[in-house]
Amino acid sequence: MVEKRSPVKRTIMYILLVILTIITLVPLVWMLSASLKLDSEVFSVPIQWIPKNPKWDNYSKIWTKIPLATFTLNTVKLTVIITIIQVLTSSFAAYGFAKCKFKGRDILFLCYVATMAIPWQVYMLPQYSMMNEMHLVDTHTGYVLMQAFSAFGVFLMRQFFISLPNELLEAARIDGLSEYGIFAKIALPLSKASISTLVIFTFVTIWNDYMGPMIYFNTETKKTLQLGVRMFIGQYSTEYGLVFAASVLSLIPVLIIFLLGQKQFVQGIASSGIKG
Amino acid sequence: MKDNSKKKAKGLSLNVRNNLIGYSFILPNFIGFFIFIFVPVMFSLFLSFSHWDGFNPMEFAGLDNFKDIFSDKVFTSSIWKTIYFSVFTVLFSMIASLALAVLLNQKMKLRGFFRCALFFPYVASTVAVSVVFNAMFQKDYGPINEFLRFIGIANPPGWTASTDWVIPALIIVNVWRNMGYFMIIYLAALQGIDESLYEAAKMDGASGWRLFAKITWPLLTPSTFFVVMMLTINSFKVFDLVYLMTGGGPGTASTMISQYIYNQAFVSWNYGRSSAAAMILFLIVGALTVIQFRAEKKFVNY
Amino acid sequence: MKKKFAKAAALGLVAAMTATTLLAGCSSSSSSESTTAASGDTTTAAGDTTEAEKEETEASGEQVTINFPVWDLATTPYTSEMVAAFEEANPNIKVNIIDVAASEYTNKLSIMLNGGADCDVVFIKDGDTIASIAEKGQLEDLTPYIERDGFDTSKYKSFNDYNLDGKQVAIPFKTSHYVLYYNKDIFDAAGVEYPSNDMTWTEWEEMCTKLTSGEGSSKIYGGFLHTWQACVQNWAVQDGENTILGPDYTFMKPYYEMALRMQDAGTIMDYATLKTGNIAYASPFQQGTVATLPMGTWFMSQMIAKKAAGETDVNWGIATIPHPEGLEAGSTVGSTTPMGINAKSEHKDEAWEFVKFACGPEGAKFMAEAGEIPSYQDETTLETIAAIEGMPEGTAEALKTVSIVPDRPINTYSAEVNKMLEEEHSLIMIKDSSIDDVLAEMSERSKQIQGLE
Repeated sequence: MVEKRSPVKRTIMYILLVILTIITLVPLVWMLSASLKLDSEVFSVPIQWIPKNPKWDNYSKIWTKIPLATFTLNTVKLTVIITIIQVLTSSFAAYGFAKCKFKGRDILFLCYVATMAIPWQVYMLPQYSMMNEMHLVDTHTGYVLMQAFSAFGVFLMRQFFISLPNELLEAARIDGLSEYGIFAKIALPLSKASISTLVIFTFVTIWNDYMGPMIYFNTETKKTLQLGVRMFIGQYSTEYGLVFAASVLSLIPVLIIFLLGQKQFVQGIASSGIKG
Repeated sequence: MKDNSKKKAKGLSLNVRNNLIGYSFILPNFIGFFIFIFVPVMFSLFLSFSHWDGFNPMEFAGLDNFKDIFSDKVFTSSIWKTIYFSVFTVLFSMIASLALAVLLNQKMKLRGFFRCALFFPYVASTVAVSVVFNAMFQKDYGPINEFLRFIGIANPPGWTASTDWVIPALIIVNVWRNMGYFMIIYLAALQGIDESLYEAAKMDGASGWRLFAKITWPLLTPSTFFVVMMLTINSFKVFDLVYLMTGGGPGTASTMISQYIYNQAFVSWNYGRSSAAAMILFLIVGALTVIQFRAEKKFVNY
Repeated sequence: MKKKFAKAAALGLVAAMTATTLLAGCSSSSSSESTTAASGDTTTAAGDTTEAEKEETEASGEQVTINFPVWDLATTPYTSEMVAAFEEANPNIKVNIIDVAASEYTNKLSIMLNGGADCDVVFIKDGDTIASIAEKGQLEDLTPYIERDGFDTSKYKSFNDYNLDGKQVAIPFKTSHYVLYYNKDIFDAAGVEYPSNDMTWTEWEEMCTKLTSGEGSSKIYGGFLHTWQACVQNWAVQDGENTILGPDYTFMKPYYEMALRMQDAGTIMDYATLKTGNIAYASPFQQGTVATLPMGTWFMSQMIAKKAAGETDVNWGIATIPHPEGLEAGSTVGSTTPMGINAKSEHKDEAWEFVKFACGPEGAKFMAEAGEIPSYQDETTLETIAAIEGMPEGTAEALKTVSIVPDRPINTYSAEVNKMLEEEHSLIMIKDSSIDDVLAEMSERSKQIQGLE
């Protein structure tokens, strides 16, 4: 379908994409430029896109003013652990919901879906009281438990598994594979693309989570990157230059994860031999 | 071991065996989910029938909280604002993400770069995004209005400083932020479409738009349902963006239901009323989800 | 299908009940504890630490650790210095500082208090929230401690504000009030005399007109009203006759008229521009584009720091805040930041030692040296502040007050009414609705919030 496209159409398509990309990236450019400015220059009107005296030391200041290295390590640790647990348990459960028949399946699934409609702010308080009773407040364990079992993962993976052709699974059953075997050897390899979307989603959510760590962590050594970014925002004054320098840095790891993940869409289902 | 279980299966009923296998799949996730999410959620919904300050023992309140919030103009108007915001967010995000996915599913140079660039909004922290967009939307000097004046619009809107334009401004930012992620979901689905279907259609002389309408769109319906459902749920409970960008203002022009829930809980410390508002939100989103599930069963053949 | 829903409902109910029993368990224990606390039994000996705290005590011998939540630790270095000095003076007590972002501090504090013994010292950011905290029974009555130790309460600003229903629920720690900052160079260039310590708001408005000059990005604004509703409404409550609780708000009209007049004349920056551009008062003043700025005393230490860092070269001064016609000069508006003790704390005596230290002369010294105004004030306090390097001449004189009206009264509904006023304030300032309509709307909503209908 691509090969037959005329050069004119192709050029139009590129121009369109470039314009879209520029529009999308303007805010990023704004962030980059703000990260090299003095606080008093950040909001000067009209906007200065290229700072007159770029303050490169904003990027070194953020490491010394707050324990940013510790925060980064914590964030990496929490994000990786939660993403792994989330992806493993929810794809396992999602397979159960999609392809196993058992009593109460629909009701249990309804429970999952129901919780998705509730904003976290609503149940944050009871959840905190419960965690407090279990002595899990101000621990990384508590935060991991709270974040690792969200309904979204199960929902996303179920939507994918449900579209796997039943004939394929039936054939595997006849070959003598157990349900667990089918899950591990057939369903999982086919769902690379969906797993990548879940990995990216979970990774980004946890990486950027602010309210959760804010409520759960008290000790300095347990805090995360996003809490660090906010440390430059004070009651009466905000060091915007530093806020943006830290924000720009915190973007990088997520973009790397995305770059790695997006390859999966090329290889994903298309190359694995199963179509439609 | 396997033989053993097969023998047993004949002994036990097939049903029981199936049940056990099903439960074993669900259990690892369900235990965590039930304790850490489901129980607190149910508890907070239950709170809507009580008076509670978060500390002292609760008192049963019957329907008091519901009467209170429905006599509060801020709440009733927040329902309409949420619906207004959600309808347009869902519509535009879906169209934008689908269009981008179709464009970026083709073989081309710099594809990785374009995907990455368009995905960036989703990754950026909301704190940074809200500050940037507030500056971009500035009435007199903001780049957006400067551009609008440049293309000949003499009196561009006041965006976040206007009660009429604040929600459109929020919709724009939300679509900008969402499209990258949902583009990926569509991309994943597009990868699943069999090339030979296109080949066959092309043999019949179909091209461009017709290919999309006849093949791509119908085959994407399951993904579209998923995207619409997720967008609906997310835009109905939008919180952080509004909280950081407008704080619900000017006036209460962008105070949506979850904003109201938050204010009741953390400004007024009235958890009962906050939960009652959450219950209403829950019922609205729940009803929409059920409708979408029904529609999905009707239109999608797995 | 019906059957399924019934089952789902039943399941939900079971879950809710489990949760209820779970939480009822913890809240009933909390209520019993708070009743003992309320009955005046305040002698929780340091010895009978419960098991929860056992690990900590064991780890550090005889030491007791008290939790002290604060906001913006990075910008208030004196807090750490004060804590270090306290620990040195009381080797058996360790203070664990919990740093929280300012914007989320009040939420986090309320969650910690609801959680029980998560914090010992209760440091309250917005004085107006104290009434609701005290009402829940989360603050220890300090009267017995004050009597026991013969604590001198005479040198405090607004000490009695924190006596609610006969209970002293907190001790004032820090005081902030509004003053007028000005840029001497702009005054010199315009040939206008520096603002005096006795000026009315009308005189200020005229002064701003004289000081405004230029166009576009090089424009100099004579005045500046920050986007907080306080920066208009405070002048309306400055005489102490009305408060933000209303419920009739017509008394605010003259000040809104002034603000809009100035906005139209271009002597102050436009509210919408400030709000959407995230332009806080600090940048324009530090860039030298604003001649006079009514702002809180907290801005002094920031100016000194920025000047020392070479990030601004504004030649600044301080004068007493302008006042309404017929009011004595030195009547200003402000707020105090108090400290109390968590009623559920397991280390009340240690927490009291800390509160006594922080709010007393020792803590006051640390604050004054950092350019903050302590609530505990003796003859030397204002002089100490004025003597700080970088503080402009005449500071001690300008900081003198005859009365400080609380900008937000200590009342259960204060926070909620204030939030409502913030919303309505923006409608006047962006000229979405007329002043009269908005003031009437304020009144209606205020009555609803306070249940006055």
